[in-house]
Amino acid sequence: MDAKTKETFIGGKGYDLWLLWNAVKPTTKWNDPENEICIAAGPLGGTPIYPGSGKSIVTTLSPTTATVIDSNVGGYFGPYLKFSGFDALEIQGKTSNNVVIFIDGVDQKIQLFESTGLPDDAYELSATLTEYFAAGKPRSISVVSTGPGAKNTLIGCLNFTWYDVKRKRARYKQAGRGGIGTVFADKGIKALVARWDNVTADTNNPANKSALKNVAKLHSREIVELDPKQNEMRRIGTTHLVTIMNDHDLLPTHNFRYGQHREAPNIGQAVYRPLFDPGFDGCWMGCTVACSHGIKDFVPLTGPYKGQNVFVDGPEYETIAGCGSNLGIFDPHTVVEMNFYCDTYGLDTISAGTAIAFAMECYELGLINETHTGGLRLNFGNRLGALELVHQMAKGEGFGHVVGQGVRKMKEIFAKDFGADRKIMQDVGMEAKGLEFSEYMTKESLAQQGGYGLALKGPQHDEAWLIFMDMVHNFIPTFEQKAEALHWFPMFRTWFGLCGLCKLPWNDIIPEDNKDTSEPAKIMKHVQWYAEYFSSVTGRKTTPDDLIKMSEVVYNFQRIFNLRMGFGRREHDAIPYRAVGPVTEEEYLSREERYDKQLAEFHKVDINGKSTAEKIAILRQHREEQYEKLKNAVYNRRGWSSDGIPNLKTVKRLGIDFPEILELLKTHGVA
Amino acid sequence: MITVSGKSVCWREGMTVADLLKQIDDSQAYAVVRINDSYVTRPNFGKTVIPDNSEVFLIPMIAGG
Repeated sequence: MDAKTKETFIGGKGYDLWLLWNAVKPTTKWNDPENEICIAAGPLGGTPIYPGSGKSIVTTLSPTTATVIDSNVGGYFGPYLKFSGFDALEIQGKTSNNVVIFIDGVDQKIQLFESTGLPDDAYELSATLTEYFAAGKPRSISVVSTGPGAKNTLIGCLNFTWYDVKRKRARYKQAGRGGIGTVFADKGIKALVARWDNVTADTNNPANKSALKNVAKLHSREIVELDPKQNEMRRIGTTHLVTIMNDHDLLPTHNFRYGQHREAPNIGQAVYRPLFDPGFDGCWMGCTVACSHGIKDFVPLTGPYKGQNVFVDGPEYETIAGCGSNLGIFDPHTVVEMNFYCDTYGLDTISAGTAIAFAMECYELGLINETHTGGLRLNFGNRLGALELVHQMAKGEGFGHVVGQGVRKMKEIFAKDFGADRKIMQDVGMEAKGLEFSEYMTKESLAQQGGYGLALKGPQHDEAWLIFMDMVHNFIPTFEQKAEALHWFPMFRTWFGLCGLCKLPWNDIIPEDNKDTSEPAKIMKHVQWYAEYFSSVTGRKTTPDDLIKMSEVVYNFQRIFNLRMGFGRREHDAIPYRAVGPVTEEEYLSREERYDKQLAEFHKVDINGKSTAEKIAILRQHREEQYEKLKNAVYNRRGWSSDGIPNLKTVKRLGIDFPEILELLKTHGVA
Repeated sequence: MITVSGKSVCWREGMTVADLLKQIDDSQAYAVVRINDSYVTRPNFGKTVIPDNSEVFLIPMIAGG
């Protein structure tokens, strides 16, 4: 990377995007050899004394969205890759030889192995490769791999390992979203393996070690002191969110029809707390959040591991909601088994869950039946049916093969092959830009509808999680305030992906004096610490405003990248109506008082004598108008045209007015 | 007596989470508190009685997730 590129794109996702931009053409498809998988750690990644500093960012052209997807993942690979001498890894081409790529930072060599006879399932493969390459030091190895489900679906994930010294096993984190694992499998790669030896505060070569130690100590100590008083993530991960979301009508149930279910506590933190195996669960060294919990001696009831003792990494909130409540499943054992098999087969638990939920709803609505499902009765709550679909996805067989294509392609298949009604499927198929929704209800939060709908890669909450600010606390009631939030939060959250960081230490553990600050939602004390962290490692004097500017550059570049691939305009920020309001009479009637009140008091509609169907139609018109107004406000705040394209002033201000970008914008009427 | 985020607070029979938040007059808008190992959310603040000797934690959940 030359100095200009380094200054512009920072690292991590920024580097990935720049490499990918230069590798592909507007016509490139996900399974073309020229598509790449790029992995980068970012300049701060691999710092063992600052919490949450071991992330890798992965990008590729997605099989489900056909444009850029990015995923942020823990595990040791990114740091080990960097310490071996590479800020980013760019994988292109294809092979049919099940290649294992070994990046050996200790002996400073790279080897490519053709493999035969290696296990397909992820846990066994990682264990085998860790042992083979470790030379007696398994902690020195990190493996990136996927599983058979990735090859046979479009929703494959990548598993990144970190070695758990106490439990003597390779543990997992996932780069889950958008089918990156499917691209990996399509390229014929069996695994990437990185090797590095000891990691200390000096390994990342910080410019000012003393300043780094000072700020790292402040943040680490605060987490140690406050996490036990707040969310206890070190003990229960993100499982506490289940009942919190449920109580606020935000936990998706039955394909996002409802946000609440009386059985939700059965899959909440009180159930998983005693199941998690106590011990250090940090997916990077020295992290004091250490939230990557797991369950030992779990015995699956189905599939190839039926009756065997296995270790399961998880579950986290998203998996519990996606593979539990959203399927009408409130049995904690089934959720853990879904978690285990998705990981083992290399499947994204969020997309698998949301896709199965859509299939279940289509089955219950009579849009598909048992002749289409291979005899499966896919009613909500069918635990064995859901597990059977996951097993079929792994084999690429039966109806599971169809579900594994993701929601967008399922809609097309159901309409074309089964004669299902397109309109209702458009309303209840929970995807946008081709990516399945992650697991939060947005009907009552316009800001979070934007958080999902305007997200560059599709509806994943890593850009903006504004439900509490918007719906619960009502801190951002106006369009302008929502637009400001939909500018600042995606920008700051993007910054973590540029630098190789986890966002949890920023705002999941909150300083005790934060409430007295002028903008408590931003946790500015931590933002200041991150600016100091960046300065101390890179030697580049940095302020909180600089962090936002760094992200703005890459964020706008990614939007333009989408444009280049045929997306990235206003029409592509559309979301299904299920994310906006009640689609069916059943949904409306379940919260009739709320909707009636909104129509009468907020929209000034005389509802007397109106049927439920009429009220649904009126409410829909108002809510869809609100979403369009929100788009206008956000585009304006971001410096984009009314069609959602960054304008000339914006690209010039951000220094990304490269000739090819100006030419591209010109072809879209921006000059 | 109960502790609230590490500080001692007088307890009384029938005291709810809503009563507690009113009593301590904290300026932050809390939507979640934890009583020992149990999480209680704002819709339930008025009907959740705090047992004596509880450890209560006020959880400032705003833009996480």
